[in-house]
Amino acid sequence: MILTDVLGSRVTSSDGRYLGRVADARFVLDQPPPGQLLAGARLLGLIVSPHSAGSFMGYERNSVNRPWPWAQLLKWWHRGSFLVLWEDIEVMGPETVTLREGFSAYDPGLDGTGTA
Amino acid sequence: MKRLLGVALGILTAIGGFVDIGDLVTNAVVGSRFGMSLIWVVGVGVVGICLFADMSGRVAAVSGRATFEVIRERLGPRAGLANLGASFFINLMTVTAEVGGIALALQLVTSIHYLLWIPLAAFAVWLVIWRVRFKIMENVAGLLGLCLVVFGVALFLLQPDWGQLAGQALSPAVPQTENAAVYWFYAVGLFGAAMTPYEVFFFSSGAVEEGWKRKDLIQSRINVLAGFPLGGLLSVAIAGCAAVVLMPAGVEVTSLSQIVLPVADAGGKLALAFALVGILAATFGAALETTLSSGYTLAQFFGWSWGKFRSPGRAARFHLSMIVCLLVALGVLATGADPILITEYSVVFSAVALPLTYLPILIVANDPQYMGSDVNSRGINVAANVYLLIILAASLGAIPLMIVTGAGA
Repeated sequence: MILTDVLGSRVTSSDGRYLGRVADARFVLDQPPPGQLLAGARLLGLIVSPHSAGSFMGYERNSVNRPWPWAQLLKWWHRGSFLVLWEDIEVMGPETVTLREGFSAYDPGLDGTGTA
Repeated sequence: MKRLLGVALGILTAIGGFVDIGDLVTNAVVGSRFGMSLIWVVGVGVVGICLFADMSGRVAAVSGRATFEVIRERLGPRAGLANLGASFFINLMTVTAEVGGIALALQLVTSIHYLLWIPLAAFAVWLVIWRVRFKIMENVAGLLGLCLVVFGVALFLLQPDWGQLAGQALSPAVPQTENAAVYWFYAVGLFGAAMTPYEVFFFSSGAVEEGWKRKDLIQSRINVLAGFPLGGLLSVAIAGCAAVVLMPAGVEVTSLSQIVLPVADAGGKLALAFALVGILAATFGAALETTLSSGYTLAQFFGWSWGKFRSPGRAARFHLSMIVCLLVALGVLATGADPILITEYSVVFSAVALPLTYLPILIVANDPQYMGSDVNSRGINVAANVYLLIILAASLGAIPLMIVTGAGA
């Protein structure tokens, strides 16, 4: 499975309720494991957006709010979106992603400029 | 002193490089049919291209990224690919029109049929792109393009009724012989001709080619803010000549010889010679820019190494894609399709595709992670938003107007 297969998939809760679509995947860079030089990117979780599976165009970063009104429009477009951790995913694809019962929804925003 | 010369050279290049076959044809057609009553559109277009070029040049200089790298990063691969498809198609149409323009200009000089000149024109474009250094290429074409000033001289020699021309320009109205839909169709075309997307691809990629840094921003601003408006005046002069000579005679512009007719009328053989050199330089320069732009957009989207600062062997796919584009243009022209007609369609489609590249640049020019402290100022954002509305209106209106008016017939 590649990322393209996942992006845009339907996301449902364990009781089959529709939650949104996969809009993005969030990765973290860990310290490299002992004996290796490079850190691999680890999938932290998926961004689920209830209204649109389109790109955030960079406005997932909380500090970016220009130019008016496009920043506001794109943030509104993705209102109600949340980050769900990899551990909370019960079934992954092909067409649908099902979340575990009692999953936690995290704020999808990134602080700062997104580099830190 | 050297810096002053650099600034002067930059401005002159921008003036000469502003006009291409799209501006030549559209302005002459509009002048011959509407007099000066559509000339305000040139002004709107010039301010727009200044704004757009300033933003994309600043993004390129500060972040080191050219337009299509930014578009792919922001829109993601799928939406980016749709964007690339539209932009590339229109750019290819413009390449075809410019190569055809070179051949038409050579036909005027030599009386040899333009179809015979087309292979040579395409070959010459390729050879220059392959061999000649970026800076020299840009400056020579731009400076020779300054010969188009002869259109301005001709306008004075024709001793027109200035009051009447000014009246048409300042209180624009649809002439009685034309209907409103056709008027607005040509307004969109003229806007598309002034704000062709390739100018921005070329401008921002050129900034990377020449290794612009933050400190070069002032010079680039001067080049844009002085050069493009003066280039716009050349467009106005072309339309003016057509309005004075062709409109009263009832000539509808369908060929390059009609565009230069007022110049020959006013200044004789010498003026005509200048006009022909200017047209040849303008179309040749624009053929170089559009061909390079097709390579730039493809290479930037797919992440190939690109640029004339690399030897062709080190940017093989970039150069190969440009050769293929020139061959496609050659093939289209070989069918006998009229280059003037291709030009008229290309400026309208340019207007259609404009928002696709404009919005991503506007967004990135506001992103502090790329731009640091050089993000758009509030004033620029207000102007940029006003222009976004104009661009959207032109883009959405273009195709319906084209259908309603039968492409301005």
